[in-house]
Amino acid sequence: MLDTEATLEIAELVAEFKPGNADLIPALHKVQHRYGYVPREAMGVVAKQLRLGEAQVYGAVTFYSELRVIPPPQTRIDWCSGPACRLKGGENVRLALESVLEIGMEENTAGDKVGLHLAQCNGTCDFAPQIWVDGKVVGPLTAADTITLARELKEKN
Amino acid sequence: MAKLTIDGREIEAPDGAPLVEVIKENGIYVPNLCYIDGLPPYAGCRTCLVEIEGARGGLQLSCTSTVRDEMVVRTDTAEVKQARQYVLSLIDANHSDRCLTCHRRVKCMPGDVCLRDDVVTHRCLTCSKNYRCELQTTNDLLDMGVDNVEPWEGEDRTYYQWEQPEPDRANPFLEFDPQMCIICTRCVRACDDLRHTGAITLAGRGFSTRIAFGAGGPIDESNCDFCGSCIDVCPTATLMEKPNKWLARTEDWVSTTCTSCSVGCTISVGTRGGKPVIVKPDTINPFSDDQICVRGRFHYDAIKPKERLSKHLVREGDTLQPSPLDAALDIVADRLAGIREQHGAASIAFLGSPFATNEENYLVRKLAGVVGTPNIDFTVGPVNQAAAHAAQAAFGVDRLPADLTDIPTKAKTILVVADDLEETHNVAALRIKDAIDPRKLPAREPARLIVISSRRGELCDFAEPYGGVWLQAEAGQEAAVVSALAKRIVGDENVAASAKSAGLDVDALAAGPDTVTGIENSTLDNAAAILSEAAADAGQTIAVVVAPKSVGVALAAETTKAAANVALLLRGASAASSFYLLPTEANINGARDMGVVPGEGGLNFIGIVEAASAGDMKALVVAGDNPLMFAPGRAKVEEALGRLDLLVVIDQVLTDTAKMAHVVLADVPAISKDGTITSADRRVLRLKAAQAAQGEAQPAWATLSQLGQRLTSRLGGGESFSYEEASEITEEITKSVPGYDRFHFHGYLGWGKGRAVEDGLSGTIALQPVGEPASTPPSNGDVALLTGRTLFTSLEAASIHSPEADKLHREDAVLVNQYDAVELGISAGDGVVLKNGSAELSLKAALTNTVPRGSVFLSSYYDGGVVNTLLPSENGSTAPARVTIAKQS
Ligand code: SF4
Ligand code: SF4
Ligand code: SF4
Ligand code: SF4
Ligand code: FES
Ligand code: FES
Repeated sequence: MLDTEATLEIAELVAEFKPGNADLIPALHKVQHRYGYVPREAMGVVAKQLRLGEAQVYGAVTFYSELRVIPPPQTRIDWCSGPACRLKGGENVRLALESVLEIGMEENTAGDKVGLHLAQCNGTCDFAPQIWVDGKVVGPLTAADTITLARELKEKN
Repeated sequence: MAKLTIDGREIEAPDGAPLVEVIKENGIYVPNLCYIDGLPPYAGCRTCLVEIEGARGGLQLSCTSTVRDEMVVRTDTAEVKQARQYVLSLIDANHSDRCLTCHRRVKCMPGDVCLRDDVVTHRCLTCSKNYRCELQTTNDLLDMGVDNVEPWEGEDRTYYQWEQPEPDRANPFLEFDPQMCIICTRCVRACDDLRHTGAITLAGRGFSTRIAFGAGGPIDESNCDFCGSCIDVCPTATLMEKPNKWLARTEDWVSTTCTSCSVGCTISVGTRGGKPVIVKPDTINPFSDDQICVRGRFHYDAIKPKERLSKHLVREGDTLQPSPLDAALDIVADRLAGIREQHGAASIAFLGSPFATNEENYLVRKLAGVVGTPNIDFTVGPVNQAAAHAAQAAFGVDRLPADLTDIPTKAKTILVVADDLEETHNVAALRIKDAIDPRKLPAREPARLIVISSRRGELCDFAEPYGGVWLQAEAGQEAAVVSALAKRIVGDENVAASAKSAGLDVDALAAGPDTVTGIENSTLDNAAAILSEAAADAGQTIAVVVAPKSVGVALAAETTKAAANVALLLRGASAASSFYLLPTEANINGARDMGVVPGEGGLNFIGIVEAASAGDMKALVVAGDNPLMFAPGRAKVEEALGRLDLLVVIDQVLTDTAKMAHVVLADVPAISKDGTITSADRRVLRLKAAQAAQGEAQPAWATLSQLGQRLTSRLGGGESFSYEEASEITEEITKSVPGYDRFHFHGYLGWGKGRAVEDGLSGTIALQPVGEPASTPPSNGDVALLTGRTLFTSLEAASIHSPEADKLHREDAVLVNQYDAVELGISAGDGVVLKNGSAELSLKAALTNTVPRGSVFLSSYYDGGVVNTLLPSENGSTAPARVTIAKQS
């Protein structure tokens, strides 16, 4: 991996961490704190600093869902994958979101305007099937509602 | 040893051995979809259930159970079978399983629509691994189809309705189709524990857990080096060799040896319709054991059959025209006889080859004898001769006794003097990593590593983080760094005293440097401390490993001397057992042992070129060598070859040298040959033909013996050259070459273990002074030009200038240090011109930080060894050549 301004900056950021597994999560947290997510080149830099394989770092990043591999979007949509939402047609909501926004789960629209994230039940199953727009519960949703909402978000941004 | 009973059979096995391995070794079937022999168990698949009498909690996993005395194990009860079936049905549930539980699979053809399930597209019948798949075999052996084990029967099979993850087919070697994955994690552990590469991970968690490479991108953007070890352990079609993926249901397997470097990994070549379609490691050579590298696995089809020679050629004016073999051989014999008569035997020279077998090199030597010329060598002979002489002067033996298998099993302190060993000798580098970071069972104590290299290779990362040291020497200063270490070690009174009592003259080291530019004294001190510790602990196994660069006679000699001095200081009279000289190309040691070295008063390669250039050398017979590819100062070599009255080349492709020849005799690739080669630690290894010769081509040994018959009938001499098979030459070698008496082609049983070495403990040992390193100071922005063998470029493809010689296109550019590049205004992919005097070379630049500042690196194989146009002829200097580099205007 070549040094770039970005990698040198990240290297400085994680220079305090010692080789081995123990500092992996703290190092990744520090990166995410600084950039809002863990950029791809950061995984290589962290791996080099901790003398781990890049794949090991990637494994950890994808294991903890609070660590993100894409920049935070301006508007974040969490789609609930919990059982109540699914039973009440959550899959249709998902399909509607994906096809209108033209992105899949854990992806952002161009320019990181709107992002889709797979979420777990948060206990507000009364409103199933639901999504959270920037943390605010929206539901129950029909496919048609979802399409309207997604179009609005897409146009607004 | 423990005595246990398995299914009523009394069995003896080592106490504490993994039960699953013992069951398998005794020919009893046990499913084990996540286990890798020799590694700690993962216990994820739960298919390896057995009943162990007295064990609490029902059936046990045989992979986590270990052998105890008086253990009673049952693998064949109805309960065991049912439990395994149930577990397997859960694995099948998330797989394209239709054929797996179907009793009529053998009757279906790939084009048939599945009779059981009309949504099915993927299943065994449409899978490239059909009939060679461990998951499928496991289903068969557990009677999943016969017993119709389908717990989800009648339910929707969502597997087929889901969108499946995308396969990665972007690279030329390794295909990854994650929809076939059963998350057994064998690949992750193979890459971590068997290869120390760590390119694969288990990403995500819970139901979305999946296998990913590097930082989740395409495989060729990860640090994977395409060894294929993960393919070998994958029980499904998820990881597959891309070449011949659909053809590799083999009809036959042939056990032979890789000839792409001097490690000599033994391989099994799977064939179908008489053609090689797949290569797997063969454990015959205990050093390579279950591992090979990308070259061994994938270079068998580096070039297309039509790119190989299938006809013999004879020069007519400016062109080479096809000729019958007999006519071509007659021309060669007549002209050789004529030249000898007119100009004397000394006007004729022979080149053997490190790419040819022992049998062929032996015949080259024998032919030279018939002609009566002592001028015999091969292009990189002088470099290797210099290194071998230095070692011989140090240890008093020629065929060094050190055994490479000691490195992974025993070595505690390892000194490596080599640039990028994983590129030149991949599996040797791997075994060193095994010693530094032992992952295999039974556990061993980790070793410490000192690396001396100018470029940063993977091994450098196995030094300091594991308590060792990487000394980044300036190119050409490697010997000086080693000498500085030797001087520090001998400063230790105890070391000096024991050296003296071993009869060594320590004054020979007095002239060594105390400091070396570019290296901190404290770093030298740290490395010396590790070596002094090893010196004090006479019981520990040490290893001093030197891999001289293939260009630079003086550099090879000085580096070898310096490293041998360290070995002698550490181990005195038994030092030869710890000293490893790794030549680059496969059969350099064999060529040497067969006598392909200058005879009494004979010329070496450099002398042969000079004589040809002066018009004194009239004829040259080249058997498998390619001077235009391997000799520095290419213009001079070309001019010299052009002056010959007769140039004969035996080769399997039309190399640059062959293009200049008067007669070209078509050879076959190593994969089509019988014979033997001798590896770096002089294991004599057997080659067996896995493929028939193509067209009129024939193995070089046959051509050489027919030439021998013609020459003896013209020149006289009692030598017989009538051989029907290569094995008859091997037999002659057993009778006449020292150290080779055991290696009968048929009937010898110790292949892979037997080594043609001398007892190293009886020779006269000596420390040798190491010469001052030469250095050419940089002038007006020039850079040092470094070169060496690289991992991916294929010899055959490079020697015909194939643009696909490096299929990954990582090595077909000049590597420029990224910070130098900024100053020079060069970006990745830019065209650049390298110049040395009147020689210049245009090519693309790639940026790196593995090459030190002030130098550039170009693969020695790139474009048929074109780097040699920029390198000066051998001039006795240890300094690297300097070139200017500029962006192409
Ligand atoms: S990977 Fe094996 S079990 Fe799966 S479809 Fe292919 S052949 Fe059948
Ligand atoms: S091919 Fe080798 S290096 Fe690449 S992922 Fe597989 S085991 Fe690792
Ligand atoms: S890719 Fe193969 S070896 Fe790796 S986890 Fe999947 S099935 Fe197992
Ligand atoms: S390490 Fe050498 S001998 Fe082994 S497979 Fe690679 S090139 Fe062949
Ligand atoms: S299942 Fe969606 S909120 Fe509970
Ligand atoms: S082999 Fe024992 S659990 Fe997989």
